[in-house]
Amino acid sequence: MAETDLLLLSSVLGLCTLGTLAILSATRSPESPWGLLSVRLAHLAMGSVLLGGCAALPLQAFRRAARGLYGVSLALLLAVDLAGYERLGAQRWLQLGPLSFQPSELAKLSVILLLADVLARRPTPPRNLWEVAGCGLWVLPALVLVFLQPDFGTTLVFLAVVLGMLFAAGTPLRTLAGLAGIGLAAAPMVWRWLKPYQQKRLLVFLDPSLDPLGAGYHLIQSKIAIGSGQLWGKGLFQGTQNALQFLPMQHTDFVFAVIGEELGFVGTLGVLGLFWVYLIRGLQAAQRAPDAFGRLVGVGIVSTVGFHVLVNVGMTVGVMPVTGIPLPFLSHGGSALLVNLAATGILLHLGRRRSWSGP
Amino acid sequence: MRLPVEERPARRIAVLAAVLTGALGLLGLRLWQLQVLQGAYYDQLAQGNRLRINRLPAPRGLILDRRGIPLVTNRPSFSVAVLPMALGDRRRVLEALSRLLGVPEVEILQKLRGAPPFALVRIQRDVGIRVLTTLEEWRTDLRGVAVIADPLRSYPHGTLAAHVLGYLGEISGPELERLRPWGYEMGDLIGKAGVERQYDRLLRGEDGEQVVEVDAAGRPLRVLRQQEGRPGNTVVLTLDLRLQEAAERALGARPGAVVAMDPRTGEILAMASWPSYDPNLFAVGIPPETWRRIAGDRRTPLLNRALATAYEPGSVFKVVTGLAALRTRAADAGSTFLCPGSLTLGGRVFRDLRAHGRVTFRSGVAQSCNVMFWQLGLRVGPIQLARMARSLGFGERTGVDLPGEVEGIVPTPEYKRQVFGEPWYPGDTLNMAIGQGFTLVTPLQVARMMAAVANGGEVLQPRLLRSVLSPEGRVLYTSKPVVLRRLSLPPEVWTAIREGLAAVVEEGTGRAAAVEGIRVAGKTGSAETSRGRPHAWFAGYAPAEDPRLVVVVLVEHGARGGIAAAPIARQVIQAWKHLYAPTEAAAGRP
Repeated sequence: MAETDLLLLSSVLGLCTLGTLAILSATRSPESPWGLLSVRLAHLAMGSVLLGGCAALPLQAFRRAARGLYGVSLALLLAVDLAGYERLGAQRWLQLGPLSFQPSELAKLSVILLLADVLARRPTPPRNLWEVAGCGLWVLPALVLVFLQPDFGTTLVFLAVVLGMLFAAGTPLRTLAGLAGIGLAAAPMVWRWLKPYQQKRLLVFLDPSLDPLGAGYHLIQSKIAIGSGQLWGKGLFQGTQNALQFLPMQHTDFVFAVIGEELGFVGTLGVLGLFWVYLIRGLQAAQRAPDAFGRLVGVGIVSTVGFHVLVNVGMTVGVMPVTGIPLPFLSHGGSALLVNLAATGILLHLGRRRSWSGP
Repeated sequence: MRLPVEERPARRIAVLAAVLTGALGLLGLRLWQLQVLQGAYYDQLAQGNRLRINRLPAPRGLILDRRGIPLVTNRPSFSVAVLPMALGDRRRVLEALSRLLGVPEVEILQKLRGAPPFALVRIQRDVGIRVLTTLEEWRTDLRGVAVIADPLRSYPHGTLAAHVLGYLGEISGPELERLRPWGYEMGDLIGKAGVERQYDRLLRGEDGEQVVEVDAAGRPLRVLRQQEGRPGNTVVLTLDLRLQEAAERALGARPGAVVAMDPRTGEILAMASWPSYDPNLFAVGIPPETWRRIAGDRRTPLLNRALATAYEPGSVFKVVTGLAALRTRAADAGSTFLCPGSLTLGGRVFRDLRAHGRVTFRSGVAQSCNVMFWQLGLRVGPIQLARMARSLGFGERTGVDLPGEVEGIVPTPEYKRQVFGEPWYPGDTLNMAIGQGFTLVTPLQVARMMAAVANGGEVLQPRLLRSVLSPEGRVLYTSKPVVLRRLSLPPEVWTAIREGLAAVVEEGTGRAAAVEGIRVAGKTGSAETSRGRPHAWFAGYAPAEDPRLVVVVLVEHGARGGIAAAPIARQVIQAWKHLYAPTEAAAGRP
């Protein structure tokens, strides 16, 4: 018998609940008092099933599926680049009947599984840049396809996750520093590849006055919303900035600002605390994993969620550029929620306290 | 130094935990700063002292003719707008506004629907002084209503060159979807036709903005920051306003088109199309009934007849037939033909207008003798005719920098079989040889063909853009001639066809195009149509010995090219001579 990490599970439960309330608050209106609640609940229901399933499956199943899943992700990403439909100037969604799906979310998990498998097969961690490149080649196709969508934010997530997993695998620090150096050197080239609006967002981060109506507007309004929440918040469903639609995209990328306004510092600290529990328990689960593959998968999942949290919250409080990365478990968006809950299922599986002393 | 296998991952995972904890801690501190330390300040901003951001529309770039004369400018105007979030008693204000502006309330509500509450929504553009003063009087009752200064598009020459210049309209949903990444926004005016549309991205500037702090009632307290926009670039066209005027005057109130082009460069000097419209009507957002009147007009005033519709070419096409015959050596300058006034083929008699007797190639062209061209057509065959037509640019868009161009049709036996499911008869070849039958061309294509004849075989891309200037007047771009294709034929072929074309004006059907002191060459055409009188064509160039101007005239249902079209060409050539000959003579050119 194994024991489930109830602390980890309840942190996710808490985050999902807060997210649901925030989305309800952000999307309800006199005409539709329930907003997007039903959609959200449907996502949660499907996600719970996935979570349970992933927690029950043996780890080896994921390892065996890693390559296949990665192939499927690549195919879906390719399909998005070719046939996906555009929203906000970027191709990210695939329409399957009434459902729209964002393959880049699935790609995040499949990249973690694949890279964990590749790294775990090696007798030693990749020690120099040459060996790192050998492992990195595996995830390069997914990275390029996501970048081309264009989804700059998710591209950054991939890079962060790869770095986190390499670090956990034991790659020497000077090699990682070398990688970072190469990244900095390549930045000017990447800059030219970015779409004008993406460049603008990055510039706006440096100087929000450049575009106060567009990206800068979000920053200003998000800060006002969060700041005006003060210590205790204006109360659930009482946010004026939110209700008057001062905040665009408040149920997706800026959902944290809704919580900040309505639940105040207490609420935002609560969210950070729940994430902290999630991340720390996730890392402990990784440590407890039976093999290197499991450990790396765990680290990969924690890096992904951690990076999302830091960038998204950082963005809403004006310390990170606006890159369009959602907040795990809280932002509205089915694909991300499903994948994140599935990943949580894997973490729960890894962290099971085994009553037997396994090999 | 290698660590024991067990220890390394554990330590590194601990480092990760520490990094994440530290980062979350920093975010927590930032939140403490925002929400607790500065909370009261932000609360004030949120409570009532909200930021309002007004766009300051940038003036659109000017459009000038080749000599720098303004064709399109801007003038100041005032728009009445609503800031939804600041609306006082919504129903009462909108009702009063509706009465004041004479705009139905439903229309106002329609404009407000879906608009973000913090953005100004323009209800009526270019309001008069009466409305402005009344608005000022009732200011306190019209809470949330604002007046904005908007630069407005102005076309000082009215209908002149309207089809080239185009007009503006409010951005549509699909356009917005497509153009949003380039900074286009709801309510923007964008080019809907002509140069305004073709070069919209160049002409539109970057809007400035004003960040205003407003109180809970939406009254502005102070301007926190103002950033001026950047005006659009100036677009200089190849058009010559004075020649354009001459062309439009010459065409008069006859449905048709005139194209004047420099055969050496492809620069379009004039492009007229009648009936026309006044683009000023569109500058403020056209009233629905005016739009219905213009768009629903059966005379299709919005259609640029120079390139957006294809016509039967009639005898103008004989230039193609002649060139095909000369190239394939089915005829040369010395060939003679007997014209008894008709040709019998397969038991059918095809009648010419009259019996020309014995004609040479030159006099056959001059008299537009159908019998000669029928014979040439039969000798050459439809494949070679189509080939020559295509190599002169028919059946494809010219690539001119204007939207809405059509490609026309160059028929072949294959085409007829596919479209009509019928075989090609020799009679079809006869029709094709004289520009009847299935062939369809645009006046612009004809101009390009004439330019190729005039310049010795260069098939050019006609163009309207001469240069682009920055708002400060710096030259950003200068266009250059684009030769799409070079038709290489022996010199005697060009000589033969040019002699024929010169004879058309000197002694043939195109005498009405003759201008004193300058040798004109050209070809007339009277193209039978399925209904109504034939279309009248004239296509020519001047001076014949050193061509610098190509003129093509089409008069819809004008009957005879020599009578309806050639005199129009003469006026254009006269005007050109008046405008250009003295300066070029002074420059020491022959």
